[in-house]
Amino acid sequence: MKNTQEFNNRNVSENGYYLVDIADYPTDGWGKFKRVVQRTFRGELFVGLWVVLREMIKFDIHTIQYPQEKMPIGPRYRAVHEMKRLWESDAERCIGCGLCEKICISNCIKMDTRIDEHSRKEVSEYTINLGRCIFCGYCAEVCPELAITHGGEYEQASEQREHFVDYSYMLTPLDKMKAGTQVEFEGFGAITPHEDERVKKTPLAY
Amino acid sequence: MSNMIEFKINGISVEAKKGETILQVARKNDIYIPTMCYISKTTPCASCRMCVVEAEGVEGFVLSCNTPPVSGLDIRTNSEALELERTNIMKLYDVNHPLECGVCDKSGECDLQNKTLEFGVTTQNFTTREQHRPVEHWGLINYDPALCIMCEKCVHVCNEVIGDDAIDVKFGGYSSTIIPKQGDTLDCTFCGECIAVCPVGALVSSDFQYSANAWELSRVPATCAHCSGGCSLEYETKFAGINGAQEIYRVKNNFEFASLCGAGRFGYDFENRALRDDAAFERAVAAVKNAKAIRFSSMITNEEAYMLGELKEKLGLKLFNEDARMFQEFMNAYSTISAKKHYSGSLDAIKQADAAIIIGSRIATDNPAVRYALTTASRHNGAKIVYAHPLEDALMQNTITQFMKYEVGTEEGVMALLANAILKDADLSDHERAFFDDLDFGYLDAECNVGEEEFALMMKSFTRAKNRVLIIGNDLIAHERAQNIAKLAALIEKYSDFSLVVVPNEVNTLGVSLLSSLDKDEKIENVVGYNATGSFVISSLLGADMAIPSLNQQEGTFVSIDNRVLPTNVAVGFEGQTLNDILLACDIRHYTTIDCTKELGRFAGFKACEFDTLENFLSAHGEDNRGYLLDEVACEAKGTLESVSDLPEFNGTVIYHSNPVLQFNAYTAKTKQLEKDKSLRGSAQFAAAARISDGDIVEISYGSVSVTREFKLDSDLKGTIALNPTFDSVVDASRYRFEKSKIVRVVHE
Repeated sequence: MKNTQEFNNRNVSENGYYLVDIADYPTDGWGKFKRVVQRTFRGELFVGLWVVLREMIKFDIHTIQYPQEKMPIGPRYRAVHEMKRLWESDAERCIGCGLCEKICISNCIKMDTRIDEHSRKEVSEYTINLGRCIFCGYCAEVCPELAITHGGEYEQASEQREHFVDYSYMLTPLDKMKAGTQVEFEGFGAITPHEDERVKKTPLAY
Repeated sequence: MSNMIEFKINGISVEAKKGETILQVARKNDIYIPTMCYISKTTPCASCRMCVVEAEGVEGFVLSCNTPPVSGLDIRTNSEALELERTNIMKLYDVNHPLECGVCDKSGECDLQNKTLEFGVTTQNFTTREQHRPVEHWGLINYDPALCIMCEKCVHVCNEVIGDDAIDVKFGGYSSTIIPKQGDTLDCTFCGECIAVCPVGALVSSDFQYSANAWELSRVPATCAHCSGGCSLEYETKFAGINGAQEIYRVKNNFEFASLCGAGRFGYDFENRALRDDAAFERAVAAVKNAKAIRFSSMITNEEAYMLGELKEKLGLKLFNEDARMFQEFMNAYSTISAKKHYSGSLDAIKQADAAIIIGSRIATDNPAVRYALTTASRHNGAKIVYAHPLEDALMQNTITQFMKYEVGTEEGVMALLANAILKDADLSDHERAFFDDLDFGYLDAECNVGEEEFALMMKSFTRAKNRVLIIGNDLIAHERAQNIAKLAALIEKYSDFSLVVVPNEVNTLGVSLLSSLDKDEKIENVVGYNATGSFVISSLLGADMAIPSLNQQEGTFVSIDNRVLPTNVAVGFEGQTLNDILLACDIRHYTTIDCTKELGRFAGFKACEFDTLENFLSAHGEDNRGYLLDEVACEAKGTLESVSDLPEFNGTVIYHSNPVLQFNAYTAKTKQLEKDKSLRGSAQFAAAARISDGDIVEISYGSVSVTREFKLDSDLKGTIALNPTFDSVVDASRYRFEKSKIVRVVHE
């Protein structure tokens, strides 16, 4: 709350802003000559060198050592998609409704479904062409089962684009489910906190 | 104007014909009344009660779907009370309806979804204990009782339009379901009409289920390529698998007004998957240039028939097509009496008939469109239907009112007796009257085995009929005495109020017969087969020397049984060459097949219009806007009747070439879903006479042909004639369909 108030105050003079003292641009030839001489013999070059040297000696380095080190990614970041599993049964959440395929504005999702041996709908093939995807998040928003979400995996460099469209790559691995470490997505399409309190229950008279 | 009823709907003055209901009039005037169970082609189910309206001075609500208006009535279709009533009905429909729209096949085209949104039902306010209702698997059809809303549309179409009468409602309040009428599983002709009319996902095609969503499929309006009914359908295509090409996923039709048989609905995957082969094309061009004749089938478009005609002219070769030639000769003989080229009847005429005679066809399997029209006439007009044939047909049992059994081969005699009965009091010319006076009734009655009293009974049942139809099947067209039979048919049409329908054998027999000048087939060398046998075969079937596209891969037109030129479109692509490429190689320039559509205008009756100007849809009120009707062509009437010749006798073992349900030709035999029963089917009496039993492998020989088939006992059959299928193209389908044959049991060592 405090932060936003600070930002909303547009009165520059009250917040300790000050103007940088910059001399006027010289107009005559003599003035220009004086400025060249001043700048040449002031040794400004060494000021910069000294700053670097000083910081090096202090060993107080703020640079992230990417790719060995990585910044934490916000939970709503929209990077490569993930396909989630159900907590109860470890079964895939995707029911094959085809809404993500329909809503995709860059037409990069393609899926094929069939009837399985239990007379249920089963997704037989599913791909996302990440070379085409614009990471808009519509698929995650429209998904009625919270099955397709975005993940934090933003590194998309490989010899083959196909490496990223593999369904098994997106699907939460079973060992991760066993360990209970599947992370729910908090971005587009996620349920809001306390959603269960707002759900209207079907009346049951029996 | 006296029989028009004037009344008001929402203050707008409207008029109703006698027999029309308030709902029909409202729809005709574009006034919206919501319905859930109403379907235009059947009598009102009246199960949903959504169509309620208020009538001035009438207590309570009126069901608009089954109430005819009275003069001066003032109807209101919208009020708060009506809205509340309808919303409550929708709330009840939605009680415990499974929330599986995400996977349901119907999602996106579901009436329940639409109406639920329309009436804003967002919560469930009523409750009841849900029951265990397992999904039923009925072969090509799956039924999920949990999704069923008991609108009863399926039961109504099955009974009133199709005539199978295979499903019924099991009443029981909330536990009501749809059940097969006989036995535990569905025993019917699998037309799939119940799937088409189901407003929710309760009845679905088991093959299509869960394979695609409604919005993913692109629709290709086309015409069914299996029989001459010319039913309109839409092929729905989608990519097969994530990297696949376009493929037909299912077939849909405008079920509100039109019907489709199972072959059209489930037999769509007959496309030719052969790849382009330039060497084969070169060989084909050489073969055509050297050929003495081209033999072709009637399973082609009008444009192809036209192009074959051009080849004939250019290269001086002969054209063989026995099926179309016999039809041509039949219709030519007909013209010499009737003085016009086309018969007067149509499927619509049959639907509206209250008296019909069908002779010389096992119509339920030959042409389901005619069967459905007859069923509609029987159920809606109470039509008297006389079915004249040597064999009874169990499928027609519920529809026909009189079975007239005649002896095999005596069709000419039967037609003469029929004409005599119908034209007893007609104003015939002298020599025509003389023909009937000369008939030897004793001989004909005895040989045909049809008694005078049977004709008397028929005429008696027809006395009050206003719309009468005579339907003539292939047995008469392929008969030795076909020309005289055609003249008799023309005579009946000319001098009585009967309209005439001649059932063409194949999808485009009629079109080919109008467009091609055909030669009598000879057994000569050097014949190129075009979808037919020959020394070089150009065909869309397997094993061809050069591959051409099937009828679902082609644009073009057919002429249907209604004498209507109907367009069909490409549902699945084809990479190879087609007939117009062969013509290009022969210096006849048509860059596409449909360039020929306007050339058809050179033939009498056809119009010179571009293919792209032909529409292919039924309007919202059911008017047929498909293609165009052939113009009537006047002919010279110089024919005279020949006296009836000695009737042939068919003794010994007789077989009848007739396909099982849903099979028509080599294309339906190619499809994945349709049952392919290639067995010889006969009654127990036949088995005893031929000394064979159920399951025996038998060798059937007739003429110079011999076929080996399994024999199956069929409890629905009677008499001493067995049914021999022709769809596997072992049999030449253009012969007279009864054959004297020899049946020998093949003994396995």
